Amino acid sequence: MFEARFSSDIDRPLLAATLILTLIGVAFVFSATSMASASAEHGLYLKQIAYLLLALLAGGLIAAVPYRVYEGRTAYLLYGVALGLLVLTLFVGHVGLGAQRWLGWGPVKIQPSELAKVATVILLASQLGDRKKDLTQIRNLVRPIVTAGIPFLLVLKQPDLGTSVAFVAMLLTMLYWAGLPLLYLFFLISPIANVALSFYTPAWFVFLGVLAVILYRSRIRLLPLLLVVGVNLIVGIATPQIWNHLQPYQKQRITTFLDPGADAYGAGYQIIQSKIAIGSGQVFGKGYLHGTQKGLAFLPEQHTDFIYSVVGEETGFVGAALVASLYLLLILRGIRVAHHARNKFGGLLAIGMTSIFLYHVLVNIWMTVGLAPVTGLPLPLLSYGGSSLVASFLQVGLIQNVAMRWRDY
Amino acid sequence: MRAEPISLGGWQRRERILTVSVAGIFALVLMRLFFLQVLQGQRYRELSEGNRIRVEVLTAPRGEVRDRKGRLLADCVPSFTVTLDPFDKAYTRNPAHIDSTLATLGPILGVDPTLLKEKIQRERKVSFLPIRLKRNVDIKSVAFVSEHRDQLPGVEVESEPLRRYPLGLMASHLLGYVGEISDKELLDPQYGDYLSGDLIGRMGIERRYEKILRGQDGKRFLEVNALGRKAELLGDKHPIVPRRGVDLELTIDLDVQRAAEEAFAPGARGAVVALDPRNGEVLALASKPNYDPNEFSTGITQERWSELSGGGNYPLFNRAIQAAYPPGSTLKPFTSLAGLECGAIVPGTVFASSCTGEFRFGTRLFGCWNHDGHGRLSMHDAIVRSCDVYFYQLGLRIGLERLADFMSKLQLSEKTGIDLPQERRGLFPDRGWYDRRFGTGRWSRGLTLNVAIGQGEVSLTPVKLAQLAAFVGNGGVLWKPHLVRSVASGASAQAYDSLRQVVPVSPYNLEAVRSAMASVVSDPNGTGGQARLDSIAVAGKTGTAQNPHGKDHALFICFAPAEAPRIAVAVLVENAGHGSSAAAPIARKVLEAFFHPAPPESAAVMTGR
Repeated sequence: MFEARFSSDIDRPLLAATLILTLIGVAFVFSATSMASASAEHGLYLKQIAYLLLALLAGGLIAAVPYRVYEGRTAYLLYGVALGLLVLTLFVGHVGLGAQRWLGWGPVKIQPSELAKVATVILLASQLGDRKKDLTQIRNLVRPIVTAGIPFLLVLKQPDLGTSVAFVAMLLTMLYWAGLPLLYLFFLISPIANVALSFYTPAWFVFLGVLAVILYRSRIRLLPLLLVVGVNLIVGIATPQIWNHLQPYQKQRITTFLDPGADAYGAGYQIIQSKIAIGSGQVFGKGYLHGTQKGLAFLPEQHTDFIYSVVGEETGFVGAALVASLYLLLILRGIRVAHHARNKFGGLLAIGMTSIFLYHVLVNIWMTVGLAPVTGLPLPLLSYGGSSLVASFLQVGLIQNVAMRWRDY
Repeated sequence: MRAEPISLGGWQRRERILTVSVAGIFALVLMRLFFLQVLQGQRYRELSEGNRIRVEVLTAPRGEVRDRKGRLLADCVPSFTVTLDPFDKAYTRNPAHIDSTLATLGPILGVDPTLLKEKIQRERKVSFLPIRLKRNVDIKSVAFVSEHRDQLPGVEVESEPLRRYPLGLMASHLLGYVGEISDKELLDPQYGDYLSGDLIGRMGIERRYEKILRGQDGKRFLEVNALGRKAELLGDKHPIVPRRGVDLELTIDLDVQRAAEEAFAPGARGAVVALDPRNGEVLALASKPNYDPNEFSTGITQERWSELSGGGNYPLFNRAIQAAYPPGSTLKPFTSLAGLECGAIVPGTVFASSCTGEFRFGTRLFGCWNHDGHGRLSMHDAIVRSCDVYFYQLGLRIGLERLADFMSKLQLSEKTGIDLPQERRGLFPDRGWYDRRFGTGRWSRGLTLNVAIGQGEVSLTPVKLAQLAAFVGNGGVLWKPHLVRSVASGASAQAYDSLRQVVPVSPYNLEAVRSAMASVVSDPNGTGGQARLDSIAVAGKTGTAQNPHGKDHALFICFAPAEAPRIAVAVLVENAGHGSSAAAPIARKVLEAFFHPAPPESAAVMTGR
């Protein structure tokens, strides 16, 4: 357990950044809900403190068990449980904001997709940690892709596009860390780029040309070559055909799905209001609890998805940049821990957990400053929500687990 | 110390690349924050304090609706709507200010200020958009609002398309109307893309084809400065252009529709449905009394609503599809067909008991409508003269089970599936139904006599009757009635197949019934002489349905030309007496309008284009 020689190796900057961000989160959940018209929201910061205690306990526990325990069979077990909960959510889940994301027993509600991200990283680390496998062999890629693909599809079905893409982000990051050359990563994502470009024929041809040159220069083996070319051609040719054969309402469903805020409740309006809130904070902010935009009730998710705009309004550039820097510190320390890990499994575990943070922080902050569409992803550690907070602490706990045991396994 | 992390080569490099790219991405975030908060901070501070960003919804005009010859039934015209933005600074600073604004506006708009207040309080919870106070405001009020802008913060006049039904009362039930979406519907995810105050189709075509008629609203983002002047928000957000709804061409023939509606005496209640027996297209669908759908487009008062939805005559009620009536003698051709099909009779069958004006069954006496009696009749003559006694005996010979079995093939207890909402099912009771209703075995076989002549528990909607008339005329096909041929993409053969259902009956039997129905109209002894046309043979059947709510309902079903019909009609007039005298003449006017349409100059006036 926590022997002195382990705990002395805890990554202190990472721990400090985590705790400071969490406390900032509680303070701004309080601020964001202090003007809420529904009095039920006023006590949310107290609930967030309770979640924090639970999260500390969970993070401590997962850090205490030597991480080698999570490798292999345990990884499959955790993954299996997480998938089971996801499947259950699809059938008996609670509907929130138009999607089935929640699973509940009485007053307890959890969001299984948050836990699935942690379990999937553990299993991916376990699968990719085998250093005998050459990842440029296609058959060695199949298993990790399936592992990330199943939760990706289950969460996509809810539908929660933002969270489901997190599984893609972690897979790519971990494959890269495990040794897959950037070139192969490019091949992996080329069909996705292809779908997007296939609607504009000149761009599509340019893309195919670039792909052909890269393929030629890369000298990869024949089978993968044919596979990349085949998949890209099929996808590129089929997509516009399928799209043109869809009924208008089906098309609309897909565009609404890709850009959920685009319609009625006016995502454009939310983004503009978020930008006004952040921008009006100027250099030093309007002062804690003195934000004015939140009182207008323009954002239904000020204490969850849009908490960063409250931070930006009340603490200005200074505060917003500080919070962003704390996230940067957390992520860079995560990469460092991965780099110094005792073995490949540990490194992948740490980089996978870090990639979840990276993805969420970027997508959320970019959304609030108007650089990304509204996706409904929380800001880890800051946003109100028990599942997200517990999952974040599990991630930090696992990174610390790897950090503590870099001398000894 | 370190456990050879370089074993795979390039690990060092991977860490460096990741670190640098993460730092780069965060640098981008910081630059963005610097841009928003430091460089543009002053502007955003002003926006957050004095000024307001507002979204202006650009309402999409609904699609136009035309009849089969292109004559306009519904379109959109420009109109003014007065809106109020409850999140205007004036009101967020001082909530009481809204009362003085409404006190000024109420009398101008002709709406009680307390009603407006309620509406605002209800709608500001679900939407941040300006709330529509009144639609279709006249030019005088528009001028007033513009002149008193400084006293009316957050009040705007917006231009919006107004749904118009140029023919007023005509075809009101099949068209339906539009009204503001209800709070309950707003909570339904099905209407996720509607906002409070949006219009939604109610009843009729407007409801059934809401999705395609509606189009897609656009949006404009405006910056409102302290003077209330609007300016397009620079560069930040492009307007979303509204997309007009899809136009619909109905199968309705306005000439026939008009004839059907005008054939009713003022104050009469009833319905007419006319179909093309060759494909199920609805040529006319009328319900009386009707209402003016224009009244709903601008928002309707509570009192007027109660008047329309009740008021003794229930004008909103679509009698053609929502009401099921006992079919009376109009069922007799189908009872005959049941008898022929199950082999209980042949067309020449004459029953033992001749009609003396009454028929004894057990201890009960069942009367014929003709108290003098019809004597001994064949099936053909029994249909022509509508002899009840013949059909009592026929019913008994077929038996309830076989009769109900045949009627279920004709789907009497099912909806026709017409493309209008709220269609009601008819009913032809079978043993199971009676067992459930009265308890197993606790009902008399005498009920069979009643259902054989279309009385008792049998009930059918006018649209079902029209479908049945078409069935006889077209040689055994039940067409699903429809008012819209296809949407946008031309009718395909498959689409038609899904509307077509062939009921296997012998052509010989069907011909026997058809020829009897032709004689109903052409034979001097027939009950349907009032539906006779000069040049075209009509086949039909009268019905007079007893009902517990007063005078008998008059019914008539027919198709013409009798040999190769192009139109089938069902007429029902509530509490009007005999089918032969009250319903058949209406059918004749409908047939005349179909075969001899009005001269084109009056049609041109209606086109409206």
